[in-house]
Amino acid sequence: MSLSMKTTAAKAEAPARDEARDGGFVWLFIRAVNGLSLICGILAAIGIAVAVALVCQLVFVRYVLNASTVWQTEVVIYLMIGATLLGAPYVQRARGHVNVDLLPIYLRGRARFVLYYLCLLLAMVVCLIVAYYGFEMALEAYVYNWRSPSVWGAALWPSYSAIPIGFFVWFLQLLADFLAVATGRDKPFGIDDEEDATDRALRKEH
Amino acid sequence: MDPLMLGALVGIITTLILFCGMSIGIGLLLVSIGFLALFDGLSSLSLVPELFFGKLDSFAMLSIPMFILMGAAVASSRAGGDLYSALDRWMTRVPGGLVISNLGACALFSALSGSSPATCAAIGKMGIPAMRERGFPDSVAAGSIAAGGTLGILIPPSVTMIVYGIATETSIGRLFLAGLVPGLMLTGLFMAWSLFSTWRQGRATAALIPVSYTWRQRFEVLPRVLPFLLIVAAVLYALYGGIATPSETAAVGALACLLTAVVIYRMWQPSKLWGILRDSTRESVMILIIVGGAGVFSYMLSSLYITQAIANSIIAMELNPWLLMLFINLFLLVCGFFLPPVAVIVMAAPILLPVITSAGFDPYWFAVILTINMEIGLISPPVGLNLYVINGIAPEIRLQTILLGSLPYVGCMVVAIILLCLFPGIATWLPNMVMGAAT
Amino acid sequence: SPAMAERLRVSHQWSTNDVRHKIVEIVAEEVKNADVGLELQIFPNASLFKPNDQWTPLTRGQLEMAVLPLAYAAGRHPEFNLTLMPALVKNHEHAARLNNSEFMEEIEKIMNDGGVVTLVRGWLAGGFAAKNKCIVKPEDVQGMQTRAAGRAFEEMLAAAGASISSMPSSEIYSGMQTGVLDAVNTSSSSFVSYRLYEQVKCYTPPGDYALWFMYQPLVMSKRSWDSLNDEQREALRAGAAKAEAYYAEEAAREDNEAIDVYRNAGVEIAMMDAQAYEAWRELAAASSYKAFVASTPNGQKLLDLALSVD
Ligand code: NA
Ligand code: NA
Repeated sequence: MSLSMKTTAAKAEAPARDEARDGGFVWLFIRAVNGLSLICGILAAIGIAVAVALVCQLVFVRYVLNASTVWQTEVVIYLMIGATLLGAPYVQRARGHVNVDLLPIYLRGRARFVLYYLCLLLAMVVCLIVAYYGFEMALEAYVYNWRSPSVWGAALWPSYSAIPIGFFVWFLQLLADFLAVATGRDKPFGIDDEEDATDRALRKEH
Repeated sequence: MDPLMLGALVGIITTLILFCGMSIGIGLLLVSIGFLALFDGLSSLSLVPELFFGKLDSFAMLSIPMFILMGAAVASSRAGGDLYSALDRWMTRVPGGLVISNLGACALFSALSGSSPATCAAIGKMGIPAMRERGFPDSVAAGSIAAGGTLGILIPPSVTMIVYGIATETSIGRLFLAGLVPGLMLTGLFMAWSLFSTWRQGRATAALIPVSYTWRQRFEVLPRVLPFLLIVAAVLYALYGGIATPSETAAVGALACLLTAVVIYRMWQPSKLWGILRDSTRESVMILIIVGGAGVFSYMLSSLYITQAIANSIIAMELNPWLLMLFINLFLLVCGFFLPPVAVIVMAAPILLPVITSAGFDPYWFAVILTINMEIGLISPPVGLNLYVINGIAPEIRLQTILLGSLPYVGCMVVAIILLCLFPGIATWLPNMVMGAAT
Repeated sequence: SPAMAERLRVSHQWSTNDVRHKIVEIVAEEVKNADVGLELQIFPNASLFKPNDQWTPLTRGQLEMAVLPLAYAAGRHPEFNLTLMPALVKNHEHAARLNNSEFMEEIEKIMNDGGVVTLVRGWLAGGFAAKNKCIVKPEDVQGMQTRAAGRAFEEMLAAAGASISSMPSSEIYSGMQTGVLDAVNTSSSSFVSYRLYEQVKCYTPPGDYALWFMYQPLVMSKRSWDSLNDEQREALRAGAAKAEAYYAEEAAREDNEAIDVYRNAGVEIAMMDAQAYEAWRELAAASSYKAFVASTPNGQKLLDLALSVD
């Protein structure tokens, strides 16, 4: 998502193409990854909803019942982190990660394609690096039984796992976006050559 | 390499990467990973996921998705239109009532929703046609809504302020209070300019004629908007009274706004509720990913001693504090032209805060200055978010008119910054009175 | 020469006025004067790592040094919970004896195996403060909303009938102000720096009998330590010895300073006597000690070792 399209992120889905026409493995892969990202997004939304409910429960227990609140704080924080990381690939799919799209709009034709591929490749490298070390971190937490330092002493590996899972699915989604442009199913940065930024804002708004 | 040189290199490369169109969170991670691998060794890369996780691992951070959800519940209902009608019907006796009530509705709605584009869209859809119809010039109709929408990040609750509070370890409740009076002052300045501009363009006679409503018409809109106003009042009271922490307040506020939307606006269909949840999840994820990436980025700056070197060298220059403040404002302004407020704050606040405090400025006052700079970015090219929204909802007004019409409101914001510099008490008086002097 | 000096980054979470910053400065000064090609670069106010995130990078050599409340790493090594255990340390003299005991040797061994070595040892004491009445005996906390510093203290206070609210220390003041919290248990220096004397009626400082002691050593990554030459290690040891003496002296002085601050603010000062202390200790044995032994392999042996120090 570009800054100038922020409000419309909610409506901007990855454009539907005449997919069935050319079928094949690439098409299946893109479909599968989009589905996976959607599942992650739904889980993220549920995570946030549950976090809201739990904080309200915490408020009730602490202020109304005047009783101990031991586990709520940690659970809601881990829910929020999990939702953020699982939500990342979904937001990628919906072009919801904000970027500065001045150069992409300025460039035309081949140059814009090259820039797009370069950005996606670098982003994929970043996601793989974070996912790899995140996997190491989650594994270490599992093997050595790392726990949070509170009375509740929650095991850390489940919440740590959100990092490798979120970033790996994000990598897959970037790859799917890459393939979608490479096979002509989508335009780089989602920009149509005929439009300028204003037209785009208009189109999205209506 | 000298930390200052290294800092300049980081600055240039970050700018290049972000201008290439990479998403901000990933771009920050990319720069951090590159510099950590080069200067701290490849082994430091295993820290990246830990830093990312650690940055988000905070109860205060939770108030971001909660307030966003609260705003989404308000924004997705028809509360904006009702708020606008209510103010319009109640303010008609005031000269120039329509633009006054539009700006008032912007201030209230942006306080509720916290989102400046949502405010522009919600109030502008009804407000802009109405203002044009009653004879207000296009420049005022478009500019006042574009500017009014930016108030949401200054008038509490404000996600921008929460991010600042977490980045600088300052009290979120106190930050919210600090933004209140300047937010109202800015609203007042916007109103004053709108009326002056209308009068100067010779439209006063048409625009200032009051339209009358019956008392029945006035009262029938109240039940729809009062609950939201009560919720916001309760949220602010709970925060400033220190009755609950920001995250607790925000969660209860979110639940209350959702219930209000369900009860008053009949938004009980699962698809509508899912829409609210989906929109707010997207917005939260987008912001929190930037926050996590910026956490890794600021570790990189700190570990390579860049943060400290920059702060030390600025302090060593012994600039006149007001000259320093001028440079900082220009820097923030340029950042705000291109980047969204949250990204500017998470990157700049940790570096600037030690400089600001050592020059004797109040961190809460500075938060207000910073936020107004970010507001300017929202209505100025090249990436003025609100301008595009206005263009979208009022296609009959030319983009050039929107741009030029917004410019005087940028002037109002600059005036507000100057007033805040002359009278810092505008920002610090209320928090000091309610919460006692800052430590 | 300083241009070629190898830099050791030291992370901690306190301000530059804090005693824990001063001890690092002492070591830094000593190492600089020794001219052994080492330079300590201090990152105060958690400006490099968050307090709870320091242990892992230390073990891997990604962070060279830190002033670290060891109990923060108890999620990795549950044995460290003993370094923040109620009624285990009675007073500062007792803390000094504990430092040179077999118990601390065992703790040090666990740290070394994890990849961390200790340079400067030190304990800081703390007490209780409450809004409406004095906390001396376990019965006093019954029904109070309490914020405790440390897992073992939460367990003990819960056993005494208090409600536990876990919240960051930065929110204690407003919690007290609004009545969300009735009582707080934290360190002497936090009692002063958070200005809780404006909110409480009664303060129970650490005196001859203190419940709350926390081990907060200056530690170093073993990987970094192993990479130093003998000369550099000697310089660090010399600085550490000097800092350790200062740390012990200052720790006791801070307790007295807190008492003065609270007394001057008109807060009532209550002292714990032998009888009350014993009651707390019995309660701790039935709650915190028990939970510790149950959740820590070899926990009983370590606890006995600690309790055997007279
Ligand atoms: Na707001
Ligand atoms: Na802009």
